[in-house]
Amino acid sequence: MPELRRDPVVGRWVIISTERGGRPNQFKAPAAEEEGLPGGEKCPFCEGNESMTPPEIYALRKPGSVRNGPGWEVRVIPSISPLLQIEGNLDRHGHGMYDLMNARGAHEIVIDTPKHLKEYELSRDQFTKSMNVAIDRIVDLEKDPGIKYVLIFRNYGQAAGGGHIKHARMQLIGTPVNLKRVKEELVGAKRYYEYKDRCIYCDIIKQELSSAKRVMAESKHFIAIAPFAARFPFETWILPKEHSCDFYRIDRAKVPDLADLTQLVYLKIKKAIGDFPYNFVLHTAPFRRDLHKKGYWDTIGRDYHWHFELLPILTRVAGFEWGSAFYINPLAPEDACKAVSEVTG
Amino acid sequence: MNELRRDPITGRWNIVVLDKIADLSDFKSEPHPKDPQGCRFCYGNENDMPEIIAHRKYGPPNSPGWTVRVLPNKYPALRIEGELIKEGLGVFDMMTGVGAHEVIIDTPDHFRDMADLSYAEMEEVVWAYLARSIDLRRDKRFKYILIFKNYGESAGASLEHPHSQLIALPIVPKIVQEEIDGASKYFDYKERCVFCDMLRQEQMEKERIIYDGRYFTAFCPYVSRFSYEIWILPKKHQSDFALLQRDCVSCLAKALRDCLARMKGLLGDPSYNFIIHSSPINGHDREDYHWHIEIMPKLTKIAGFEWGSGFYINPVPPEIAAKNLLSVKLVEK
Repeated sequence: MPELRRDPVVGRWVIISTERGGRPNQFKAPAAEEEGLPGGEKCPFCEGNESMTPPEIYALRKPGSVRNGPGWEVRVIPSISPLLQIEGNLDRHGHGMYDLMNARGAHEIVIDTPKHLKEYELSRDQFTKSMNVAIDRIVDLEKDPGIKYVLIFRNYGQAAGGGHIKHARMQLIGTPVNLKRVKEELVGAKRYYEYKDRCIYCDIIKQELSSAKRVMAESKHFIAIAPFAARFPFETWILPKEHSCDFYRIDRAKVPDLADLTQLVYLKIKKAIGDFPYNFVLHTAPFRRDLHKKGYWDTIGRDYHWHFELLPILTRVAGFEWGSAFYINPLAPEDACKAVSEVTG
Repeated sequence: MNELRRDPITGRWNIVVLDKIADLSDFKSEPHPKDPQGCRFCYGNENDMPEIIAHRKYGPPNSPGWTVRVLPNKYPALRIEGELIKEGLGVFDMMTGVGAHEVIIDTPDHFRDMADLSYAEMEEVVWAYLARSIDLRRDKRFKYILIFKNYGESAGASLEHPHSQLIALPIVPKIVQEEIDGASKYFDYKERCVFCDMLRQEQMEKERIIYDGRYFTAFCPYVSRFSYEIWILPKKHQSDFALLQRDCVSCLAKALRDCLARMKGLLGDPSYNFIIHSSPINGHDREDYHWHIEIMPKLTKIAGFEWGSGFYINPVPPEIAAKNLLSVKLVEK
């Protein structure tokens, strides 16, 4: 019998329909994609090709190197075709019954490494450095009162909307509005807290640790779980074990541990199904500058818990899913977990 | 500079790209191979699965001669038999996967998708949707009926033969619930239906309308999430698709067929999805909700940004989409 499962935070129902033939070995990553640099075209993200990109916003540099030249370890540049732009003022207005504003915000690319490597080929040290740079960028963008939220994400592989150049990088988008998906989580978490006086994510972590059926991997400070109401085969969330709502306030001493666990989860799934396309997204609390305003998310510190979501793109999401936010997942998260642990022994 | 537009129903903000508007040449349609060899939905294979209902020109049930045929899905996501059991597992909730999953074969012709059907053929498909909606709502276990179509592999279709699907659910899907909540909030504030207000503004501006019939209007919504997204709404307020009056069926068929034909004419047979959003079963004819059809061509890849944020990027402003769609010359059938 198929099962309907409800995401405890946002209330989204998912059909876990293993009867449609959901065996883990059915989910194979698509055949390796060609690296799309035809005819000796140069990768704009590699060291030495700095002139191919817009001038850098920030870079972690070796002593003695100069801006927009080689000698960097992590480099942040504006997006070549930015969706939101940092210049100008935010202009909100109405158009009849509709509301709109100009797209003021930030859109940056964080290049993880000067070498032409894929995300999972990064060393622990390099991954840690690039994560630290991303955190520095959020800290900097918080100073801009027009930005309410900073979204960090990776798109890897063409099915996931990744570019044809396979040089490890992440994108960072600062928006002038709170994002709907995150807001849903904030509302759900707040409701749970009002009822139980506990953080829902902390409760989920406790329950997953005691049942152990959906724990993908664990490190000293972080845990990776296959969520109970997973939308996609091999969907995985990475959460800090200790309660915290703001990713950018993370104790920097814990970043290497986070880098380790993230790499481990990725490599485990890769071993089970091959080089898979995925999206990797950070969900964290929005900036809270108006805390003095009554009722303005003043409980977030207690009720919300930041996390990363790793979403492998292995199944086609059909109209049914788009139009209803009601997903059919042909692989139970317990089976995904089992498959991953079997492969790695 | 690009624009952020807010959906007046759900409050979702989307980015409409104005800096670098996508060209028609930016969208490449995937091929739609058509090989009727071994197709379970073509004439002569009716024994594969007994029909629930069919509209026929000749012949007894489960034989050739039908024009539209409704079957149970061979690989159902939900099962019709069984009791609806709800239980909690600590912090989690679940229920048994009870529901109906049916396939509507749009036409016996393996080679013509909906965009190529005649108005009369399309009308029969709408009749089948309506008949199944009315029948399934009597089952007290169900709260919602979803009718949708996936065309093309990238839209999630696993079979070539033109078909639509129906799923009856014991819960209300999240997006529909959000629409209902948003529409009800708007109604509390204005005492008007938000969809009726949208129709009024679209009629006034006439910038995004692509079909304007006696009973139905189709337009590219101001806050389109996808390039060339189209919505079809009944002009007169109505919350539930199953309450559609008989004399409106032909107008709906014409609207849907024309929208799909315009899309095909302009974009070269793109993969697409459409879905009927209606109010939940057991609801009365509510003042605050308005049923409609959402058509979503699959032209761009949805990336992590959209998944993680619920914040969509649309590279074609709906005003331009509507203008381009209207430029297509239609063949009246």
